[in-house]
Amino acid sequence: MLDLKRLEILSDGAKYDVSCSSSGSKRKNVGGIGNACFSGICHSFTQDGRCVSLLKILMSNDCIYDCKYCVNRASNQTPRATAEPREICELVIEFYKRNYIEGLFLSSAVLKNPNYTMEKLFETVKLLRTEYHFNGYIHLKGIPFADKLLIERAGFFVDRMSFNIELPSEKSLSLLAPQKSKKGIIEPMKMLALDKYYDNPLKLNRRKDFLPAGQTTQMIVGASPESDAEILKLTEFMYRTYKLKRVYYSNYVPTNFNTSLLPYSQAPLIREHRLYQADWLLRFYGFSANEITDNSGNLSTEFDPKCAWALKNLGLFPVEINSAPFEMLIRVPGIGVKSAMRIVNARKHAKLDFEHLKRLRVVLKRAVHFITCSGKFIGTKNEYSIKSLLIGAELSQNEQLSMFNSSSASLSALTGEL
Amino acid sequence: MKIFVIDNNINGLLSALFISFTEKIVPDFVVDKSVYQGRLDCLAIDILTDISHAERVKTALYKYGGDDIISHLKVCLLSCDKNALTIAFNYAHLMLKRRQDICDMLSEKAVSDFSFLLQKVLHERHIVLGFLRFEQSAKGVMYAKYVPDNDITELVAPHFLKRLGRTPFIIHDGKRNKIAISNGQKLEIRHTDLPANFVPSENEVEFNLLWKKYFQSISIKERRNTAQQDRYFPRRYRKYCFETWE
Repeated sequence: MLDLKRLEILSDGAKYDVSCSSSGSKRKNVGGIGNACFSGICHSFTQDGRCVSLLKILMSNDCIYDCKYCVNRASNQTPRATAEPREICELVIEFYKRNYIEGLFLSSAVLKNPNYTMEKLFETVKLLRTEYHFNGYIHLKGIPFADKLLIERAGFFVDRMSFNIELPSEKSLSLLAPQKSKKGIIEPMKMLALDKYYDNPLKLNRRKDFLPAGQTTQMIVGASPESDAEILKLTEFMYRTYKLKRVYYSNYVPTNFNTSLLPYSQAPLIREHRLYQADWLLRFYGFSANEITDNSGNLSTEFDPKCAWALKNLGLFPVEINSAPFEMLIRVPGIGVKSAMRIVNARKHAKLDFEHLKRLRVVLKRAVHFITCSGKFIGTKNEYSIKSLLIGAELSQNEQLSMFNSSSASLSALTGEL
Repeated sequence: MKIFVIDNNINGLLSALFISFTEKIVPDFVVDKSVYQGRLDCLAIDILTDISHAERVKTALYKYGGDDIISHLKVCLLSCDKNALTIAFNYAHLMLKRRQDICDMLSEKAVSDFSFLLQKVLHERHIVLGFLRFEQSAKGVMYAKYVPDNDITELVAPHFLKRLGRTPFIIHDGKRNKIAISNGQKLEIRHTDLPANFVPSENEVEFNLLWKKYFQSISIKERRNTAQQDRYFPRRYRKYCFETWE
């Protein structure tokens, strides 16, 4: 069984992997232990506010690569540990039985060489499925440059697989992770997409036994100079071309102070937050990357991307709740997909007014400035008034504010101006 | 003010609906017989549960509300909301009155109240599926104690029957003294007044320590955000999630 010390080292090395989602798979329990819940289940929340759904662990943190931004880089003086496949399997089963976890997120530093590492990862997931009869969720991090066959075979044993794109541009990748290349990361992603969709990503048919929860990727934000627009365009491209389920953004946390290539401080968390909001708009709200970034190529820090878009396009508003198409309703700040569906269903039976919207639990604080109900408008039409009201609404949403949460407060803290 | 006093179960509710339509009485409130205390300003009508009446109402509800209507009403009755019976009654009453499926008519108060009460109970079920913690006894039985707001043991237990395979388990609602027992094949829900006589297995402490260590090391110290942790993981659910204990 894995001891306390090694567990600490191996989980500490895995904590910068953002994904901990266990959704997207309907795997059933066939005579063993475990199954997967399609919506995913969170089992705990750590002090950084992130959910714990899977046992996120490295097989080894003993890496031959020396990526500048990575805590496990070869040149970093840090305790090293490696776990055997059986040790990981036993821990997963025991944790799973106690309902601590929904499954396993297995990753690894590159130990010896990519093929050796991938073989070890493959051995672990195969053991779990065939010998331990584990039917819970498994997310496997693929190793770039590993043999194609190994990667493909692993796809039949796990629910989700991911190759980290690491950085938003080829230039940054070659600068900060010289041993990795765009080809080494993109090729397996492409191959998995083709395997999943029978050699044609445009086909709707897909293999149900192969990566039922699809593939995802992750990139570091704030370690390199790319703008939000560049990041979102890359995201859009990957969703379209490789049929990714999710793109994760990891705010850069400094772990290497011996290089001038990386910033010395952490990027503001609001950037990561806004990127996730924008990502949501790309996936579910029909927005494109060009629509939601401003002239400088970045997302607004003051307003969420949908609000910022609506303020730029005030001419399209207000929209009439009783007649606006669904696609327009979801573009109204404060109205999400669920609320829009409720409105569309409810208005078939009755003409809706603002009281009805409250009953439908539509958040009116922001929406009132952009909608009419049976021709009635109760918001404000002045752009500046809307902006100040929206800033107020956004601040009141945060339950606990830090001292310099708003941009004006942060600026004031820097300049000293009151 | 008229009050229907009924048995707090699905047949009690359906019998009340039958009386409401046959006697043409629409109550202001529907209350549970076992907890009702008479009020001088109200006319209390005691409804006797009649299975044949309940069956007739059930057939009509299936006709208008589809296959899920009865299970949705049952879920609503598991709520801790003191108006749960009235909300369920009003919803079913409106459906029978309109003779059509009304689940989309959220502008109607009866429908929105019912829909959100249902969501509330199902939401608690969903989060409890993650926050429940099992301990293994010396005899190999998994035991989990919890104190949910709503009476959701019968909604939670089938999930673990599918998941744990042949492993026997007990889920214990400490607030209502209700337990779900599984021998790995069949599930039984019953009440118990017996205190839990639980002897943990030898290696239980070791796994607790491993899980606690994992929980601590997976958190990024530079990004501490306990406000977000509190928002997603309410403190009342942490009573049995030992990893969060200081």
